[in-house]
Amino acid sequence: MSQEREESAMMDILRRGYAAVFYENWPIWLGGVLLGITSVITFAWARPWGVVGGLRNWGDWFFKGIGIYSQAPASPFISTNSLIALGLLWGSFASALLSKQFSIRFSPPFELLKGIVGGILMGIGAAMAGGCNVGGFYSALGALSLSGIAMMIGLIMGAYLGLRYVYWEVEHISTGAAGGTADSGGKKAINLLSIEPYLGALAIIAAIVFTWVYSDMALTREGVLALCGVSLGMIIQRTRLCFVRAFRDPFMTGEAEVARAISISIIITILGFAALKWTGLRDEMVYVPQAFWFGGLLGGIIFGFGMVIAGGCGSGSLWRAGEGQVKLMLAVAFFALTVSLVEKAIDSSKSLTALMGHKVFLPDYIGYRWSILLLIGILIVYYLAATWNEKTEKFMVEM
Amino acid sequence: MTDITPNETLDCRGLSCPMPILKTKKTIGNMKSGQILEILGTDPGTRNDLPAFAKRSGHEYLGEKQDEGFSRFYIKVK
Repeated sequence: MSQEREESAMMDILRRGYAAVFYENWPIWLGGVLLGITSVITFAWARPWGVVGGLRNWGDWFFKGIGIYSQAPASPFISTNSLIALGLLWGSFASALLSKQFSIRFSPPFELLKGIVGGILMGIGAAMAGGCNVGGFYSALGALSLSGIAMMIGLIMGAYLGLRYVYWEVEHISTGAAGGTADSGGKKAINLLSIEPYLGALAIIAAIVFTWVYSDMALTREGVLALCGVSLGMIIQRTRLCFVRAFRDPFMTGEAEVARAISISIIITILGFAALKWTGLRDEMVYVPQAFWFGGLLGGIIFGFGMVIAGGCGSGSLWRAGEGQVKLMLAVAFFALTVSLVEKAIDSSKSLTALMGHKVFLPDYIGYRWSILLLIGILIVYYLAATWNEKTEKFMVEM
Repeated sequence: MTDITPNETLDCRGLSCPMPILKTKKTIGNMKSGQILEILGTDPGTRNDLPAFAKRSGHEYLGEKQDEGFSRFYIKVK
């Protein structure tokens, strides 16, 4: 009798735990903290995480497949760039299933077009800035690269311009809602929903088996990086951590929650990355893009505009695609194709490469101590400015 | 939740962030105080965004109802 009661108490604890992790909203700041810690673990394991490298690998394969590129890129199942991005996609897919949030979501045609245009703009911007919001900004700042600041300024400007466009669109273009599309298969979706958590658990087990098998093939480094991607995808999907909101919301609604979460996250990343580089455990020039300042700034503006139009940045488009949003799947596809082409063009032209700028590793100029203080100081200023704006709405743009 | 009769319904199914919020903001601008707006949505983000938007702008978020394949959200205009 008492054993039975203990068992049912245990079931109750587990059920509540599951609901807390997968059905309830996580605070966004927690997402920022977990993302920062996982970023540092990923770099300590092998390398920083990024998204664009993986997308470029897939785009390269496409163009090789249709005969435009002569050289075959690295296999997407060996390239760590590709494995991290695949992991992120898989992790957000699994997490959406576990939370009963996966469904194929269609959008009206005009929204799909915005996904495509946003994806193309993000591809151009990321190629110029040497990375998307992750590799060109988030991980680049962690890596103590000055082009991360150039891209941050660009992203703020681009998000502002993108918001002006979206306001204009709301006033002047009637996209019409998808109406029927959401309903079609509604009945089926309901039935699927009840088994989604089991499919999600299978997806997680599959990811662990994948890493296990890779380890047996002497590819432990690659396998664990894919698993890091899965963790990142789960964290970002559960907290709906969205870089677009960090830059757009202060202008749109005045909300600063996401801007604060991203600031905290990058500060953790800076501290962890600096420890790994300063102690000589990792190469100093890792994730220092050759994009200071022109490529970072202009690439940031173009990328920032594109991410607001698409409704997702590099990582954001991936996790929303993993959740089943067709618009963001298109954004990812066109982002991948564009970044492949534009990076190829920049790489093959000396003058274009020079135009994008230099690799600037801050400690080479002002030492580690001042670099860390300066970058953290800039993020604290961003944190405080966004919070001040939340109260005063000084930067808010009225519709 | 079943006894709410909305004055207006805004169909945001198939739209993703930030369109549901912006369309809600625009529609509320043309409504009178005390009226109730119903928003239909399919984006999981809307579940967090609408209550936060209502709280910041002083409207009352009344809650949501699950329908087949989408959600219905209710906001009372301040």
